[in-house]
Amino acid sequence: MRVSRRRLGIFCVACWLLAAPAARADDLLVFAAASLTNALDDAAHAFEAQSGDKIAISYASSSALAKQIENGAPADIFISADLDWMDYVEKKGLVKSGTRADLVGNKLVLIAPVLAQDSVTIAPGFPLASLLVNGRLAMADPDAVPAGKYGKAALQKLGVWDSVANRIARAEDVRAALRFVSRGEAPLGIVYQTDAAAEKLVKIVGYFPAGSYPPIIYPIAALTAGPHRDAATFIAYLRSPEARQFFTRQGFSAVE
Amino acid sequence: MAFFTDIEREAIWLSLKVSTVGVGVSLPFGVLLAVAFARRDFPGKRLVEGMVYLPLVLPPVVTGYALLLLLGRQGVIGAWLYEAFGITLVFRWTGAAVASAVMGFPLLVRAVRLSLDAIDRRLERAARTLGAGGARVFFTITLPLALPGILAGTILSFGRSLGEFGATITFVSNIPGETRTLPLAIFAYTQVPGGDAAAMRLVAISVCLSLAALVGSEWLNRRAARRIDGF
Repeated sequence: MRVSRRRLGIFCVACWLLAAPAARADDLLVFAAASLTNALDDAAHAFEAQSGDKIAISYASSSALAKQIENGAPADIFISADLDWMDYVEKKGLVKSGTRADLVGNKLVLIAPVLAQDSVTIAPGFPLASLLVNGRLAMADPDAVPAGKYGKAALQKLGVWDSVANRIARAEDVRAALRFVSRGEAPLGIVYQTDAAAEKLVKIVGYFPAGSYPPIIYPIAALTAGPHRDAATFIAYLRSPEARQFFTRQGFSAVE
Repeated sequence: MAFFTDIEREAIWLSLKVSTVGVGVSLPFGVLLAVAFARRDFPGKRLVEGMVYLPLVLPPVVTGYALLLLLGRQGVIGAWLYEAFGITLVFRWTGAAVASAVMGFPLLVRAVRLSLDAIDRRLERAARTLGAGGARVFFTITLPLALPGILAGTILSFGRSLGEFGATITFVSNIPGETRTLPLAIFAYTQVPGGDAAAMRLVAISVCLSLAALVGSEWLNRRAARRIDGF
């Protein structure tokens, strides 16, 4: 029988490709909002070291993750960046009952490139439009993405939304809005405190008053599609005081 | 037209505007480059070819990011454009046109180049022996013979432009009425709980437009083949 070496090579690669996903089936699969990236990675590593369980985390926007879960993604745990998308998944009956909880909170800030713009006092009617000069205000899509929805709510509450509504640079997610500001393409942007903390090229020029937007809460829940038994253990760990340090270090706030 | 909502009409109109301007402006350059690739040897030809075809294989978000770095207000070229001419591309529909032109350009150049390669060079030489100058040969012999390829390339890159998403959203963001073309509008709807029905309508519109571009390109391809066989 003549089997060329090349063919054998292709066969081996094919086997490896087919086998690779199977080897990961034992991992605990977490779908998490992109803004959690650094903190959740740290917490997951610490948990892996303790428990010996393997944790795989897929980061994307909450909306994309919710749709994937709806369409049968075999995720064990979902952490959304807002209540709406968790409600969406829960209404479809995909959340294991009794597992949903609030994990962490976040704050909304106004940012500018690090070398520009002095501090801004954010108060009702503050002159946001004139601060933009002829630039745009970078924020995640105010109709869809949680960070943008919170930002719009805050600006409406402060009575300045109408003056800037047609001067928004709508980014696909909050990190893209951050990028527009860090690159200096937009003079101001609205992001989470945790995003601002993660990027050295921007600085926080103002905090939105706590009452000006709905509380920013990241809910967590185990999913019915998930085959993994230890989902509850990992959720309990993430909510423990021990894991909380990973989140507060990145600028997340505790929720009660 | 009551058939389309305002948002749909806006996205369709913007998509057509962005693609038409993008392809229209890049067309002369595309033909020129294709002629250079097909007929000339020059130092660095491989490199230029590589640069032109690169957006075809790069992830679109990389192309968009490169455009942001180069053509943004703070970018190397973008800063100069603004200082010298007051031109801003970032967050403008013109920037979206640039992004879609860059993404469609390789398809345009490739189609034109293939049709140039298919031309019987003896026809050009015959014209030269009859006393026609280089320019006259190009405009009366080469260009008409390559026309089907040029048309096909135009439609193909137009279709590619209509579908442009990654480079556009990275470079000029997603501003309704300014840079929110059809694919970006679809994306925006999929981000909203309950936006599926609206997204599906736009998907249908998008499929129809792209299909029309594809069918047009196929038809022109066949015609081109027939015409070239005829000689």
